[in-house]
Amino acid sequence: MWLWYDWRAAAIADDNGNIVDEEIWDGHYPEHAIIERLQIIARGGMIAEAEVLAERFPEATVLVHGDQQLPDADWPLPDDEAQAAADAAAISMSKLGVAMAAGDPDKRLEYLVRASDEMRASHLTMEARLVEWVVLFLPEARFGGDRSALGKTVSESDDLQMLAKKLDVELPPVGPSKSEWKALREFGEGVSTFRGRLDRLENAVRTLATEHLPSNSMLIGPLLAARLCVEAHGRMRLARLPSGTVQVLGAEKAFFNHLKTGAPPPKHGHIFMHPWVSRSPKWIRGKISRTLASKISIAAKIDAFEGTPWTEADVELVENRIEEIRTTFPTPQSRLQR
Amino acid sequence: MSKNNRGRREDLSWAVRKDGRALWTINANPRSAVYGESLRKFSGVEYRRWDPSRSKLGAGMIRTKRDPALLLPFEGETILYLGAGHGTSVSHLHDHLCGQDNHQGGRLVCVDLAPRCLRDLTHLANSRPGLIPVLGDARKFTAWGVLIPRKVSWLFQDVSQAGQVEIFIKAANRFLANDGIGLLSLKAASERWTGDDEAQVFANAQIALEQSGLIVEEAIDLAGFEDNHMLFAVRKPSDN
Repeated sequence: MWLWYDWRAAAIADDNGNIVDEEIWDGHYPEHAIIERLQIIARGGMIAEAEVLAERFPEATVLVHGDQQLPDADWPLPDDEAQAAADAAAISMSKLGVAMAAGDPDKRLEYLVRASDEMRASHLTMEARLVEWVVLFLPEARFGGDRSALGKTVSESDDLQMLAKKLDVELPPVGPSKSEWKALREFGEGVSTFRGRLDRLENAVRTLATEHLPSNSMLIGPLLAARLCVEAHGRMRLARLPSGTVQVLGAEKAFFNHLKTGAPPPKHGHIFMHPWVSRSPKWIRGKISRTLASKISIAAKIDAFEGTPWTEADVELVENRIEEIRTTFPTPQSRLQR
Repeated sequence: MSKNNRGRREDLSWAVRKDGRALWTINANPRSAVYGESLRKFSGVEYRRWDPSRSKLGAGMIRTKRDPALLLPFEGETILYLGAGHGTSVSHLHDHLCGQDNHQGGRLVCVDLAPRCLRDLTHLANSRPGLIPVLGDARKFTAWGVLIPRKVSWLFQDVSQAGQVEIFIKAANRFLANDGIGLLSLKAASERWTGDDEAQVFANAQIALEQSGLIVEEAIDLAGFEDNHMLFAVRKPSDN
């Protein structure tokens, strides 16, 4: 005995392939109802007609249309009208699926992270250009470590004289023409608005990452957590990656060069950005990044399966472990000892 | 172009025309191009140029040593396309299979996993009745298999993920009618690295296809249009 069903009908056939009983949905095929039925089937469930027949023939094997085990029989396949309704529903369903893709935080995070990368890159080049430009006219100006305010300072100055005063340097004998100064000032304006936009973009990354990856954001900070998630193509995939892969995510070039030529393998990828790795002495960075990567993997699993997020106490345990490594290896080991 | 190109002009179907080394299909949605291809009128009928370097099916039809029409489905039938991408090949297939306002009565079910690709396909479906985009995994038949009540006579697969041959064999068993044509576009780089070179990957694929009971009619090398790609044209044997 076989129970066959598709989105519209269900039927019972005996072992010789004769149809014994059938139930057909007598609807006028409203689109939302078809979509609902198609979704039930996609989840592996049974439609109402099939359930009725399953009750009537409990001994029948229930199989959805197209299953290889089903015998050939004159199943009540949809007629043209029903098929057209199903096609229309399928198109709506894929439109719905496309629209739902916007709700996927992995996708949203990817756009945010990529956009902030691009914005940071262009902001830095523009800022460097501005510094060089200003220094051309005011050779004595020095900005030291902090050049971030320069854009604002330039945009708020009416002319080179005012800028020189603000930067506390002497005005050289030659300066820009009027139109040239205007262009320079607007460029400075651009740099400072870019900076504001970049900050807002990164704040958006932080907000979404703390929500989407709470444990990892607590452990390594939301920006790095977001980057790892994007590099791994999603939260679930990050959780499934071996921690060795997490460790070198972002160092693909060095890693494949290692596989190809036998060069030393990379010790860290994106996680180098974390101060635990980058601020540690060189000889223990490998050990620390290995430890950190394994903890990231654990945190990623908590995030992906939505467990109780890590708190500061949990992060402290990891920090103690890192500190332990630092104290165990205060000096580089000699190569002979190894 | 040489002054006498006329002799090389050949109609492959009611809608597909081969003109020298170029392929053209009658535009089912007149005055609009799908992916920036050129439009041109042949004796009053608008054709779209089928760019073989952007469509593996188009490349296969140029490179095949047999009659290129053998690679096409019959118009007005139901066909299945796995891994539809952005709809380049799909749009030309639709021109041939359905025609304007689907006067041929064809059904083109195209499955793709990526919402980004589906977005383009749903736009295409708006202006091209008969085209049915499905957002789904080509490997998970149960999710969308009920949309194909009867077996299809033509199946195309271009999924570039590992295990392409196995997916194709399963799909052919499940969906392809006896005597139906299946086309598998195999990307060597998508298979898991086994240490074999490319030729070996293709040879293994051919053996796997033959062992599953499919008849490999031609293996078309797409080098020049798509590197590291082979298009397998197979036929499912009839029952007797």
